[in-house]
Amino acid sequence: MKLPRKRQYKASIPTASMSDIAFLLIIFFMVVTVFRKAKGLPVQLPTAKTTERILKQRDLSYIWISKDGKISVDDNLVSPRKVSLIFRTKIQENPALITSIKADKSADYKYVYRIMEALREANALRIVFATRKGG
Amino acid sequence: MAIIKRVQIEEEAEIPTASMADIAFLLIIFFMTTTNFAREKGLKFLLPEKKDQPQELKIKKENLLKISINDRGELFLNDEQYDWNVLEREVKLRLEKNPKLIILIRTHKNAPYEYMIRAFDAVKAAGGKKVGLGIIGEIAQ
Repeated sequence: MKLPRKRQYKASIPTASMSDIAFLLIIFFMVVTVFRKAKGLPVQLPTAKTTERILKQRDLSYIWISKDGKISVDDNLVSPRKVSLIFRTKIQENPALITSIKADKSADYKYVYRIMEALREANALRIVFATRKGG
Repeated sequence: MAIIKRVQIEEEAEIPTASMADIAFLLIIFFMTTTNFAREKGLKFLLPEKKDQPQELKIKKENLLKISINDRGELFLNDEQYDWNVLEREVKLRLEKNPKLIILIRTHKNAPYEYMIRAFDAVKAAGGKKVGLGIIGEIAQ
């Protein structure tokens, strides 16, 4: 009996579209990425039930207030009066600015209030009290 | 004269694309590790505009709910002491009775910030939209 000769097939994985997939993912991550601008101060945020997600991350600007009332903007320790000046220029650059106040939960209320007053003076009226979700 | 027949060898032009995917994946890994998805969370609030001459707002007493927090973290609604646990229900009840209610949260200057957030959170959960934030005691600017 004559057996047909086995033909040898070359095994190959199509890799041509691999880079297309990879580039698609790159573009997705590039669009989504927002680089962190400042480190800030170590704070323990208060918890709140009605915590919302802030989606317009690009418009966000942060103020950190530590337990003992130190204020940090863009990794500089500043006075409340300086905050008003800084945010006046920031609001001119981006009128849709949202200020996120990251204050320690055991900080005295007066420190936070002072910042709110300073922001009002700078006309940066849209603010967010940074909180953690929880009951 | 002999004619030399030139045999044209067809060369295929090729761009090496094998390493393309490697480069792309490297970039992916970079962006994946640096991405932080919208982790920003908080309570939104719109500050009132600052006017040169503070105008006097006349609010009827029955349309105003004063929530006061003293430096010991005790809660008062229109000068009556309440427990923190009933705040949300109480605000909700009063809002149902009078939808035009304006809520003013006044916190003592030395009270922890957490208490103000707690009150603000309760008012938000109860559906209060018109909220003002105030302070008890003078502060140096």
